[in-house]
Amino acid sequence: MNTMVKHTVKLTPNYLEVNGKRVAETVAGESFLTKLYRLYNMEYPKFFKMDVLCKVGFVASEVLLGTEGGERFVPRSDRAVLLFNRHSSLHADSTFQHTIANPDEFYPSPSVFVYTLPNIVTGEIAIRNKYQGESSFILLPEKSEEAMDQAVARAFMDRETTSVLTGWVEAVSETEYEVEMELRMKNDE
Amino acid sequence: MIIRKIAENIVSPLGFTTEENFASVMAGRTALRRYYSLWDLPFSCFVSLIPDERLDAEFEAQVPCFTTAVYTKFEKCVLLSATKALKQCELDAASDRVVFILSSTKGNVSLLSDENPDIERVTPAHTAQLVARHFHNPNIPITVSNACISGLCAQIEAYRCLMSGQYNAAVVIGADVLSPFIVAGFQSLKALSDEQCRPFSANRKGLNLGEAAATVVYSVDDDAADGWRMLAGAVRNDANHISGPSRTGEGSYQTLTAVIRDSGLSTNDLACLNVHGTSTLYNDEMESIAINRAGLNPVPVNAMKGYYGHTLGAAGILETLLTMRALEDGIVPATRGFDELGVSNPVLVSSESLDTQKRAFVKLLSGFGGCNAAAVFKGYGL
Amino acid sequence: MELTEELKTKMIEALNLEEMTPADIDDNAPLFGDEGLGLDSIDVLELIVLLERNYGIKIADPKQGKEIFASVRTMADYVAANRTK
Repeated sequence: MNTMVKHTVKLTPNYLEVNGKRVAETVAGESFLTKLYRLYNMEYPKFFKMDVLCKVGFVASEVLLGTEGGERFVPRSDRAVLLFNRHSSLHADSTFQHTIANPDEFYPSPSVFVYTLPNIVTGEIAIRNKYQGESSFILLPEKSEEAMDQAVARAFMDRETTSVLTGWVEAVSETEYEVEMELRMKNDE
Repeated sequence: MIIRKIAENIVSPLGFTTEENFASVMAGRTALRRYYSLWDLPFSCFVSLIPDERLDAEFEAQVPCFTTAVYTKFEKCVLLSATKALKQCELDAASDRVVFILSSTKGNVSLLSDENPDIERVTPAHTAQLVARHFHNPNIPITVSNACISGLCAQIEAYRCLMSGQYNAAVVIGADVLSPFIVAGFQSLKALSDEQCRPFSANRKGLNLGEAAATVVYSVDDDAADGWRMLAGAVRNDANHISGPSRTGEGSYQTLTAVIRDSGLSTNDLACLNVHGTSTLYNDEMESIAINRAGLNPVPVNAMKGYYGHTLGAAGILETLLTMRALEDGIVPATRGFDELGVSNPVLVSSESLDTQKRAFVKLLSGFGGCNAAAVFKGYGL
Repeated sequence: MELTEELKTKMIEALNLEEMTPADIDDNAPLFGDEGLGLDSIDVLELIVLLERNYGIKIADPKQGKEIFASVRTMADYVAANRTK
């Protein structure tokens, strides 16, 4: 399958890069993710309900898709969302574990539990953008460009898929995360 | 070129082989039991658990361990199921033409309750690596974690790995074990029934959770080979809500139409639709809508949750294997727990098993994150 | 603090309504649906936990929640009548 990369976004606790160019940096004492949310006028209050894995995936996808341009939020099934990491939903898992750890304070939180799956971030991106195509989350023992490339090539084997929003989305705490996201298009020429 | 099943196993409370599980299902047994204070949880629940004694006995007898490492229940289930499946075939699991694919939702999450949890071991990607290394396989294992559809996604991933020519065989293992984490979580969503689940029934109150591990080995074969083939698979998102199924059944509807189209089969070829049937109000209703929208309502529908409960990452593989085994005997198994139809769109669910001459079926699943998956399987020469 | 104000503060925290203050929430405005706060099914479940944790009120059936959580006013009335702590 002949594919081409169209736009990349890199997001770390220190900076945001679009197509290899640094566009925002963090300032001590602020929430970088909330700052980017406001900077890019995302206007999506559900953002504040998300766990950190969803937040970083959401922010990166918003920046990436804003860069792509064109009409957004129209239902489509030709774009897949395929994301990867190693630690799954570890941060939400630990948060939920805290709500059940003490028998005297046993109040399992439903709004935390719903985020204890890594594919909720693919779902959040699909919901925001009305993407009804394939969505999937794959865990790898380590970050491997080769393994991710092969998985993206497999996603294009669905005959309806003509582009894939893909990348590494890892967030183990509010201050430790790494996102490298890109749009991969089917090259028909 | 075709993709054919060459080996399999199911480890569950109803048996430690596919045959034993099939016999239990045909005898109408269920593994679901009521527990009043399981793990000291402050509510009663109806779940199915793999007995530790038998798991440990079989594990020690069958899995050659070269280290003294203490495995978790989840790891033991995965290793035992894969070992038992691989013993059935001549496959060299150490070959670089073989890939390991794991399906799990929560893996070793129970480790988080340890005082100093081994964080690196919690992720299912760690378990996948453990299994691949155990069989001396050199490739990076793939772990699919798409909530309740993972077991079907893992098989679809295997199908593509083989169709693309990247690998010759795929060992696909699905597993989840229960813990206070998972049970309390589903309880907090008010998704659990405190009695036997009743798929598609008017009086259904929610789902039951269950433990299982299941393994299927697929191989590339020539067009003349007999046996079970995977013909098509598709994954679609509702793009609607992270935990609630779509009211229009959009994603499931789209997967059904895609796999029927890609498989080249028609409604007439299908013995049954083996659906999710979790017994929650919204899931079963959504499936009835999707089935009717896809024009598949003339095909018998069955669900396995009344025997096992919802086995999460194992469900897609366990339910696929049991349906294959039953169809080999010309049987569509009864939907245990079903009584009076309670969904808005007509579906042919039965509390009795049916006889059939057909040897093809659709497996359908949906899950949190708005995801849906379907696949078509057909038996040749059976 | 008045019960309605207390509930608003706790709600904003429990539901992560980041961009809201108690003053933004009208006592009688609907909490669900497009016209009010736009809360969803998970929010209902989280509000059930909030009532249990803070006021010792157990609600077994989420469907009951529809009436209780119609507005901050209905919620406060229910809490006042049923609280055990």
